[in-house]
Amino acid sequence: MRGQRHLVCRASELPPGERRIVRLGGRSIGVFNVGGSFYALHNGCPHKGGALCEGPVCGTTVDASFGYGRDGEIVRCAWHGWEFDIATGVAVADPAVRARTYPVVVEDDHVMVVLPRARKEPDDE
Amino acid sequence: MIDCDVHNSWHSAEVLLPYLPPAFREYLQRGELPGPRGSFPHAHRPWLHPEGFMRYDAVPESGAAAGSEYDLLREQLLDRYDVDYAILTGDEAIEASTLANPYYAQALTSAYNDWLVYEWLPADLRLKGSLVVAPQDPHGAAAEIRRLGDHDGIVQVLVSSGSQRPYGDPFFHPIWEAAAELDLPIAVHLGGQGGLNANPIGCGPTTFFWETHALLCETGMAHLASTIAHGVFERWPNARLILIECGVAWIPPILWRLDEDYRALRKETPWLRRLPSEYARDHVRMTTQPLEQPRSPEALWPALDDIGARDMLMFASDYPHWDFEDPRFLRLPETWREPVLDGNAREVYRLPARDRIAEASR
Repeated sequence: MRGQRHLVCRASELPPGERRIVRLGGRSIGVFNVGGSFYALHNGCPHKGGALCEGPVCGTTVDASFGYGRDGEIVRCAWHGWEFDIATGVAVADPAVRARTYPVVVEDDHVMVVLPRARKEPDDE
Repeated sequence: MIDCDVHNSWHSAEVLLPYLPPAFREYLQRGELPGPRGSFPHAHRPWLHPEGFMRYDAVPESGAAAGSEYDLLREQLLDRYDVDYAILTGDEAIEASTLANPYYAQALTSAYNDWLVYEWLPADLRLKGSLVVAPQDPHGAAAEIRRLGDHDGIVQVLVSSGSQRPYGDPFFHPIWEAAAELDLPIAVHLGGQGGLNANPIGCGPTTFFWETHALLCETGMAHLASTIAHGVFERWPNARLILIECGVAWIPPILWRLDEDYRALRKETPWLRRLPSEYARDHVRMTTQPLEQPRSPEALWPALDDIGARDMLMFASDYPHWDFEDPRFLRLPETWREPVLDGNAREVYRLPARDRIAEASR
């Protein structure tokens, strides 16, 4: 995968349902374990720059009878409460709005976030 | 930069106990409350925010209420955004307006004002205070303004937008008179939507929080129209009305409507000598947050420009509430930045010019 890999932690240190806010390559990034899969979101909300990854990880209402679902798949921005799908970064109420996502690689129990290289460096992976 | 709406909260309303007269101390210690012990005794409103009111990242590590610890407020707001002055607007204290008992409401607001003056304002010279009054007792409110209104750190009188009637009504004139005497603006902040106060939604209660929150500007419309129509700004030429968190985009069309109807029916209010929009331009200010977000961001400005809003709008963050506005994400026309972020508030609150602050700190 193109880009620069940044080590976050051991996979065993980030169990399902947990999240970690890390600073990588000058960016604040939230790394989430949702049911055993790892995802990374930029910790700056596309709405107004809020601490997107620091709000509750939760579910939401999924049908007109107030059925509750997607538990653990949604993060709610710490400021204004906008809901985002952790896996895709798509805003639940307005799919035209997307939070920035980063690829996550897990190898040998190491969770790594892949960030784009600085422009002038050649991609080597 | 001046931030006109910063909430200083408490971990428990019982911080007011030392400041309350003994008779009312008992009310707060043993009386019924809308929440657990330590909650503020306002009458409950029907619309409850499903996630709570606070930014999740503004809760101190101690677990205390967001906005209740000065150190975190300084870090997350004053220092982070290089704020020259932050106008504290309390948090629950304006809800005293919902109580039927005006004596208790008056005692609670006086206790709040003393707590503010003794425990918040000395913490940081950048903090300025709002004197909260209980408008259901206009003479008591006027007495409170005269008691503390000349304190150096107090820059305005504050009431909730929820009220029994619009604030221009002669019922409230003792408050305007006292504020004018102390040369303080009167600020109306969103809140007080329950208990004694009129329903804030014109044709009856709405249902959901977000639906209601978007419509709460209705009370701001009524206060604006009433204050102008009753001639408050003729009677007290230094009176100023500040609308906080009541929205902004509705103001041009409402002023256009007021101007048009006044031209036809001037005879109803013979004390007026100018158009409603002219009074507004000179005497009314409004804070930005939550600034409306049109599909095309630039759609907001032509109408606002028409009423002279460049000289009326004042930045506010609403820290640490859930609808906090980050000044770095505020998209303003370039020539509006200085007046909106700084100059307009400096003028209306009579705050020293920047160079004078620099001089004083030398």
